[in-house]
Amino acid sequence: MDSKEFIANVRRSLGREVGAPPPAPPDDTYLALSNQQVESKAQAISRDLEANADEYMALLEKSAEGAGWRVARCKTASEAANHILSIVRDMEATSVLFSGHSALDDLHLDAALSGTGVQLEAMVLDDDSDKKAQRDDFRLKVINADIGITGVDYAVAETGTAVLLAQKGVSRVVSLLPPVHIAVVEKGQVLPSLDELFTLRRKEFLNDNLGSYMNLISGPSRSADIEYQIVTGVHGPGEVHMVLIG
Amino acid sequence: MQSRIKQFPQLSSEALANDQIQKNLLGLYDGFHKARISASEATPNWDELSDRGRAIKEHTIENLDYYLEMVERTVTAAGGKVFFAKDAAEANKYVVDIAKVRGVKLVIKGKSMVSEEMGLNHELEKAGIEPVETDLGEYIIQLADETPFHIIAPAIHKSKEEVSDLFQEKLGTPRMTEITDLAMEARRQLRSKFINADMGITGANFIVAETGTVALVTNEGNGRMSSSMPKLHIAITGMEKVVPSIEDLGIMLRLLIRSATGQRISSYVTTITGPRKDDDEDGPEEFHLVLVDNGRSKLLADPAMRESLYCLRCGACLNACPVYRKVGGHAYGWVYPGPIGAIVSPMLTGLSDGKDLPYASSLCGACKEACPVKINIPRMLLYMRHQLAEGDNYPEHKSAPFGEAMTFKLWRFALSSSMGLRVFGGMARILQKLVAKDGRITKLPPPLSNWSKLRTFPALASKPFRSRWKG
Repeated sequence: MDSKEFIANVRRSLGREVGAPPPAPPDDTYLALSNQQVESKAQAISRDLEANADEYMALLEKSAEGAGWRVARCKTASEAANHILSIVRDMEATSVLFSGHSALDDLHLDAALSGTGVQLEAMVLDDDSDKKAQRDDFRLKVINADIGITGVDYAVAETGTAVLLAQKGVSRVVSLLPPVHIAVVEKGQVLPSLDELFTLRRKEFLNDNLGSYMNLISGPSRSADIEYQIVTGVHGPGEVHMVLIG
Repeated sequence: MQSRIKQFPQLSSEALANDQIQKNLLGLYDGFHKARISASEATPNWDELSDRGRAIKEHTIENLDYYLEMVERTVTAAGGKVFFAKDAAEANKYVVDIAKVRGVKLVIKGKSMVSEEMGLNHELEKAGIEPVETDLGEYIIQLADETPFHIIAPAIHKSKEEVSDLFQEKLGTPRMTEITDLAMEARRQLRSKFINADMGITGANFIVAETGTVALVTNEGNGRMSSSMPKLHIAITGMEKVVPSIEDLGIMLRLLIRSATGQRISSYVTTITGPRKDDDEDGPEEFHLVLVDNGRSKLLADPAMRESLYCLRCGACLNACPVYRKVGGHAYGWVYPGPIGAIVSPMLTGLSDGKDLPYASSLCGACKEACPVKINIPRMLLYMRHQLAEGDNYPEHKSAPFGEAMTFKLWRFALSSSMGLRVFGGMARILQKLVAKDGRITKLPPPLSNWSKLRTFPALASKPFRSRWKG
């Protein structure tokens, strides 16, 4: 159906005249906030994160466990790398993929996993060669990988959530297709609740930086569709690790 | 989907007589209902959150024309395409046409109640395209060729033995006794479908008007799979699913998920804004959003029914309802069962066809209490009963039989004056001699016979209270 006709029918159903101009933008919603107001809300959130980073990290540690993550709190990047090494060894992984998140740079996974014989590869498109061929290649690799490692863009203490945003170097499926996902969270990335997350996302939208997707990941893939019994690993990873640094 | 709402009396009797269904329904109370209650109790200011969620929905629905225009603009700006479908046939045609033009052979589907409403799978099959449901519950009922039994747990009426038998018959797998093994078998079967599919279809729990974003809530990851793996993604949902701002999602996600399963959040919440960008590593090349009316504008047009469009499809009212918990989801005869289904199904498919559904409620109010956006379901059920009896706003659906209408006219006369009470009481005391036995009436003659089918009435006392009272 033509969209004008469809919306006109909705308008008539609401008891408004079709020819009449659409109602004025509502002033009792978030949409009424000016860019300036959103910006200052976002700044207040950033200040709060700096002031309370330790508290939010501790809250996340607890809520992530509640959501089904296996949580490790590490003091340093090298401690985190060692922890990841032990996960790789425990599951006898042969193929490990990782995203282009900057938090992973400090882990020097290449060095940490050298000598394990594991095939370690970054899932980051190279702009200079054919993207289609690379995408096809990545797709095959991620289908067969044992572990996917990512950083996060944010984490949410309220819900035990890792937030992954669309950006260069971050595949949608490296955290989805392999049976094990490891998410690395740095101090200062942890937001107290979903509300702060969506305020920041609104700011990013207003700055034309929303991206094509966002994944909130809170524990393993699970289902209770047969007799209410919870089963993990139905389509996504059945085993998920959250590595907290700092 | 073919409506069987006329058959509620028969379908509900069958469900009541089915021991397996009765047994599986028992788990709803502990499985979902109690989990919802503890989740809402554990959420600070749940009541306030609920009021805010309701206010967001109310505001959006009251200005739906404005927000739909915004959705069209923003989804298009993000590189997607919006299609407005006035009914199921239009929506089906749009999806099937795209599939044909793109040479699609295999479609993977995340859970979508609106696509059930449309009977989309059937239309795809007719066009020679294979649709595969990937939510575990939906996969099971697709194999069984059944309809969803529950909004969020479509196959919850099946025992693991029944699922094992079904897999054995349809997939040739050996007998399995562990639920984990059944789920892992589904994972294996569906993995290759995800990899080879040409098109992914999902629902959408919310659409954010300002940003042109759709939000998908799943626990298994079927929504992520279906929206990430194939080169083409189509999201289909009802036009009422809009919220104004992405900042509204915090409130709405808490309300939806905590009411549905009692989790603080589901394993996955995915938001999608258009197709993949040039710099993205992966994702679909094409994104379409199909917004379906299919009768919803009728709900919008009646101010007394409008709030039914606030529904988040969490299923909490089903789990709370003493009627749903006995008759189950198939008795309601269409996609949406339970208290909200008793409103939506007749209103979308024909009020007089579904005339039994508004009566499938004791009006106890448990649904209203469970609803995260405080939809006054009992009020609307009463309103629908009124319309069926009197036909004020829906004259074409007036369906009370003449005998019943006359009976109630007389009843009103008898109870609204002392004269009426005296005359009718006297007559009834004489007439009841034909049917009363030992002070009880077990069987009434037509047109009153239905009232005595399942209950026994005490007979009227031989001397009325009025004449015994010595003030």
